[in-house]
Amino acid sequence: MKKRIVITGLGTINAIAKNVPDFSTALQNGICGIADLDLFDTAGFRSRTGGQIKNFHVHDYMPREFSTRRMSRADMLALAATIEALRNAGLYLPPDKIKKDMGVVIGGGAGGLLEAEEFYGKLLTTGKRGRFSKLSALFCASSADRIASTFDLMGPKATFMTACSGGGTALGYARDLICNGQASMVLAGGVEPMSRTTYASFNALKSVAADVCRPFDKHREGLSLGEAAAMMVLEDLESALDRGARIYGEILGYGITCDAYHMTAPDEKASGAVRSMQAALKDSDLSPDDIDYINAHGTATPVNDVMETKAIKEVFGRRAYTLPVSSTKSMHAHTLGAAGALEAIVSVLALHHGFIPPTINHRDADPLCDLDYVTSGSRKAGLRAVLSNSFAFGGNNTTLIFGKYSERGVAREQ
Amino acid sequence: MANIPKEVLPVNNDRQTDNAQRVVVTGIGMVTPLGIGKEEFAAGLFSGKTGIAEIKSFDTSAFRSHLGAEVTPFNPRDFISVKNLRRMDKISLFTVAAARMALRDAGVEITEDNRDRTGIVLGTAFGATDVTAQFSGTLLTQGPSSVNPILVPNIVMNAPAGHTSIELGFRGINTTLTHFAVSAETAIAYAAAEIRRGTADFMLTGGADILSKFYYEALTKFRALSPQNGGKEACRPFDRDRNGTVAGEGCGLLFLESLESAISGGRKPYCEIKGVGMGSSPTKPTDWPKDSEGIKLAWNRALKNSFLRANEIQTIFAAANGDQFLDATEARAYEEIFADVETKPFITALKGAMGESFSGGGIRACALALSMGKSILPPTLGLNHPLSPLSFVTANHHDAVVNNAALAGISFGGTYCYLIFSQ
Repeated sequence: MKKRIVITGLGTINAIAKNVPDFSTALQNGICGIADLDLFDTAGFRSRTGGQIKNFHVHDYMPREFSTRRMSRADMLALAATIEALRNAGLYLPPDKIKKDMGVVIGGGAGGLLEAEEFYGKLLTTGKRGRFSKLSALFCASSADRIASTFDLMGPKATFMTACSGGGTALGYARDLICNGQASMVLAGGVEPMSRTTYASFNALKSVAADVCRPFDKHREGLSLGEAAAMMVLEDLESALDRGARIYGEILGYGITCDAYHMTAPDEKASGAVRSMQAALKDSDLSPDDIDYINAHGTATPVNDVMETKAIKEVFGRRAYTLPVSSTKSMHAHTLGAAGALEAIVSVLALHHGFIPPTINHRDADPLCDLDYVTSGSRKAGLRAVLSNSFAFGGNNTTLIFGKYSERGVAREQ
Repeated sequence: MANIPKEVLPVNNDRQTDNAQRVVVTGIGMVTPLGIGKEEFAAGLFSGKTGIAEIKSFDTSAFRSHLGAEVTPFNPRDFISVKNLRRMDKISLFTVAAARMALRDAGVEITEDNRDRTGIVLGTAFGATDVTAQFSGTLLTQGPSSVNPILVPNIVMNAPAGHTSIELGFRGINTTLTHFAVSAETAIAYAAAEIRRGTADFMLTGGADILSKFYYEALTKFRALSPQNGGKEACRPFDRDRNGTVAGEGCGLLFLESLESAISGGRKPYCEIKGVGMGSSPTKPTDWPKDSEGIKLAWNRALKNSFLRANEIQTIFAAANGDQFLDATEARAYEEIFADVETKPFITALKGAMGESFSGGGIRACALALSMGKSILPPTLGLNHPLSPLSFVTANHHDAVVNNAALAGISFGGTYCYLIFSQ
């Protein structure tokens, strides 16, 4: 029988909360974290807003004796979320026998670009070469190395770089590592820092909203960029039960597909998204009727939201119209490489605490987006299984399915 | 440094007897400093040709290093449609061309019937360093309104795999991962696991990286490149006189499927992917490991996962690249592993001919598959004064009996991924 992989620790820092309990409250209260940026000068850009983590001081989250030398903002955010996840799982600091087989898998994004931009800008404008050691955290695989070396972890490490679906893929891969016996526990998640290059890229593509993103709204004009770190502790059920850990939920399955259509636009026929949801259902041994809530990709770009709505209808049939679907990007913004992992935490909190988070900023219904998008505040609801979508540039689609933990499992309860 | 126990026991009870679960390599595609495609590459590799020369594509006069292993000449039009070609940057051109060659080599056409169960897992250490530097450079000097939106899709590391899927038309699992010098090995392990799990029928997998000016300068500043501490600039893996590595580029992709699928399609496997072992050891982020514990950990996991013992491995395609620490640590690990083993493996380090492209594990995996087919072990170029009494291959070793071979992936930052290939 397939091993059952459960989630026993959560940690996050994002635009609407700096820890998991606050995040849960903010999601239920529909807090918007999209506002003017102060991380860098936004003069000359199409937009000025984003889901920035304000007043981030790394040592509020970790002991002074942990070195942050040469770390990027991304590394520090990832480490802060990891510490919370480990504490939350009762594994801080991890005991020796756990370290030996604990891996780190991360969905990455801009890595140390924010810091590198300062270095490179100075080089190009003044010809002055700063200290190249400032670039040592430029590439985002650095965050996994930092986490592993801080806690002496000896399991596998990998960083997924599929833009907006990397965080989701990281969690699916982490589950496989445990199922295949290549790790007994994995710290898995994603980290995405704000950077000028990322901000300029989405501005250049004219895919950002000027004020706030409005997923599924008739007048939506684009996404809001955000930043976040989101980390989970995954382990197999037996190990969680043995050590008496709190089980937040179970990772039931995932699916990855590709559009093979266009580098930046989703396939309007929605085939990639449909197949990704179907693959995740199959991997989870579930039918569409078992899903109680969908945490949508819902970027609020004109094309995505129509495509995703269409895909949901194709997979769920008539049930699509009664199935709650929301985009929490309306609150925490689109956190790119971290999005799949951050929204996995949303899904798991929804299962664990029994609520459906809302889509905020929604004003006018779009005839092409005609599902239940939970636009008038969060709801209380007992959920059994939640599906979460992440679709990315390059046509990369990842869908994850999480279940509420029960002894028999979601699929076997019917 | 925490204690790592001698016996490492990831549980794996499913001995692979089922043909549907055995993963084989049935195609190879390569864009390398030794040549384009497996014939040109093999001709270069087994004749002891080097891919290392003075860098031609950018000016290195201001730097302390001048050598590189560049891919040249390369005509992407041989492999890629003109319509898609102009949207691609260098790393995507390499990857799409290698993917096309791997499919041709396997003799598989992408059709309506197989496209949703064909995928790619690509490993890249640094991605499109050229495009990112160009885009950021314009942004930082001329402001946001001057940037070129056409560059945006190619900044993200998953662009090469995305372009490959569009050009070749397959729509199954598609992902890109990175972990510095083990990017390609980790990607291959993931792709093989997906075939084994039955979520894909065909997978392309391997690694791609490119040389670019700012990236090369950064490598020199990190003292990664020869001459680290003076002396003549060269790549000398496992040599006492080594003084750093030489930067390289290229792409190597394997075409994977289950043994059952290869048999039913009449495709002759080069070799089987038997197992994988991954691990980490506490190491400073930009340093190569200085102790052998992490290597031994991953090695033991790989053997365990393959149901093999150390004396059953006849050759190791090493990670050594001419770096002071990496090569010494890797050699010491093998001395320790094989101290009590009667039959010692032959060890060869291909980075002597191809330089260090960080995701060169893809090219080395292709070379390994070719070596197994031809029963020839290729030489380690630049190795004249071995630092250890291990059995290094310094000239072509013919008629080699290779039932099982190991591909070593070792990265700075202390990450390890060993793959075991079998006949």
